[in-house]
Amino acid sequence: MLNSFLLPAALSLSLLAMGQSMPAAAKVCVTDDTGANVCLEQPARRIAALSPGATELVWAAGAGDQVVAVVSFSDYPEEARKVVSVGSHTRVDLERLMQLRPDLVIGWVTGNPPEQIEALKDLGLPVFSIEPRSFEDVSHTIERLATLAGTDDVGFAEAERFRKGIAAVERRYRDAEPVSVFYQVWDKPLMTVNDEHLIGKVINLCGGVNVFGELERLVPRISSEAVIGANPEAILAGGMGQENRHWLTRWEAFPSLDATAKNNLYFIPPSLIQRPTPRMLEGSRLFCEKLDDARAKR
Amino acid sequence: MSRPLAMPLCILALASVAAMVVSVGTGSVSVPPGDVIAVILGDGSSLQQTLVLELRLPRTLSAFATGGLLAVAGALMQVLLRNPLADPYVLGLSGGAAVGALLAMLAGLGGLIVSGSAFAGALLATLMVFGLAHGTGSWTPSRLLLTGVVVASGWGAVITLMLAISPVQRLPGMLYWLMGDVSYARSPSPGLALLFLVCILVVPLGRSLNVLARGPMQAAALGVSVRPLEWTIYVLASLLTATAVTMAGSILVVPHMLRLVLGNDQRLILPACALGGGALLVLADTLARIVIAPEQLPVGVITALLGVPTFLYLLYRSR
Repeated sequence: MLNSFLLPAALSLSLLAMGQSMPAAAKVCVTDDTGANVCLEQPARRIAALSPGATELVWAAGAGDQVVAVVSFSDYPEEARKVVSVGSHTRVDLERLMQLRPDLVIGWVTGNPPEQIEALKDLGLPVFSIEPRSFEDVSHTIERLATLAGTDDVGFAEAERFRKGIAAVERRYRDAEPVSVFYQVWDKPLMTVNDEHLIGKVINLCGGVNVFGELERLVPRISSEAVIGANPEAILAGGMGQENRHWLTRWEAFPSLDATAKNNLYFIPPSLIQRPTPRMLEGSRLFCEKLDDARAKR
Repeated sequence: MSRPLAMPLCILALASVAAMVVSVGTGSVSVPPGDVIAVILGDGSSLQQTLVLELRLPRTLSAFATGGLLAVAGALMQVLLRNPLADPYVLGLSGGAAVGALLAMLAGLGGLIVSGSAFAGALLATLMVFGLAHGTGSWTPSRLLLTGVVVASGWGAVITLMLAISPVQRLPGMLYWLMGDVSYARSPSPGLALLFLVCILVVPLGRSLNVLARGPMQAAALGVSVRPLEWTIYVLASLLTATAVTMAGSILVVPHMLRLVLGNDQRLILPACALGGGALLVLADTLARIVIAPEQLPVGVITALLGVPTFLYLLYRSR
């Protein structure tokens, strides 16, 4: 880990190793997604990530070794499964969390209960709350996490890799033929995303046109009729588990649907696209390939 | 207070203290009993101090206040409606509170605003039922009950509608609120103060309440001014329930069982409810914290699971 620090951080850490106190120069400050300024006197050594997405982002920032607490469903990367769980993101076991003596908590603006985040702040813990809503947000979040964890080398490189990867996909599909797309984020009730949602942005990135992109709600609940009425050229769905296509079978009953007639019903592993993490790059490439496949069938 | 009344209250007071000791001493992180005492005496490690004084104690006190308030409110409602099955929510007050709280959550607000909004909703529900039940005719408990039940199902419909249209990521918080959850409670002192005040206020009314429970005619014949007393009970019970719901969402705490065990003397039942309801919720919340730790259960689940069978058993056994 040491070689991955910026010079001042590395210097201060080696001073610490020699039993001397940390110089004030190591202090870092970043602004979180609620607009709050989060300052640490020294890089975070014991990080608690209160959402599966936050866990992935901390690992992406190069600070996986510093994670001491996660919440349930933190299944990526593999090492994250070994970290102590402190409950679910909707209800955190504050006792167990405090016992792990974190020096930085990564909150989730819309996922964690505001009361519990407030309680943690009252207990004197620095809370960095995140809510990535765009590809750039993903990169920027990784960079800020790296700054807080003192892992700028790894984090900024990863953020840049993601940024460049997305830009390359964007260049490649900028002039692609539009494909009308329905993305099914949940089955019962039937739910999709609008253009503001990160998945909606993947659709646009690949030259797709989200048939429900204009709806006002981020994750609208819709009827099968609305899908049939919109008659998308391709239907892409996640599902529960990694290889579970059965959400798509409901559309096979409607041969009049363009997507069904041309067999443009595609499964996308939800973990690649439904979490705002660098894995979205892989998910986006896969998504774009599916739309290319649909174009090839014209 | 006469002797036969004091005895059960002493037992309940001891039980309450015991419940609180168990609650403060129990959690997903083990703190040895000796260390708990050390912490309370101002000693112990800083982690133990945080766990016991800042996480457990406020929650335990909140649970006690909430349970006590709800049980007293329920007991008052039973007298008002002259129905031993009444609970604090029978007149739709929790529905109004829930709509208020969910509206605030829907707007992405948290903490104090959710509590304030819940309180406003509860008071609105109270006024609505009160006004509607008054109507053009006379004001009777059965009319009040029917109005309350209908208004409650109206709130239920609004709640369902709000859940159906809420953003997915807000649903867990809303559902936990509806199930009742003491982990929302931040400062126990207003609830505790109100509980204490009400006990002092209500006990002198006990004799009149006893008479009222036998029917308004008899009460009037015996010199009780029935209407003002009924209004006082209604306003008081609503205020207690609103405060409790504001602290911890809709939790069902049944005062029925105490009434079945202790008989029907309001002078005894009301303070007994304050203690018994408080102790029950403290224990239920302790269970909610540890049953599937580190995951947390909403305490409302536990009170319902404990309360319903107990109530049915007592009901079945009595005659």
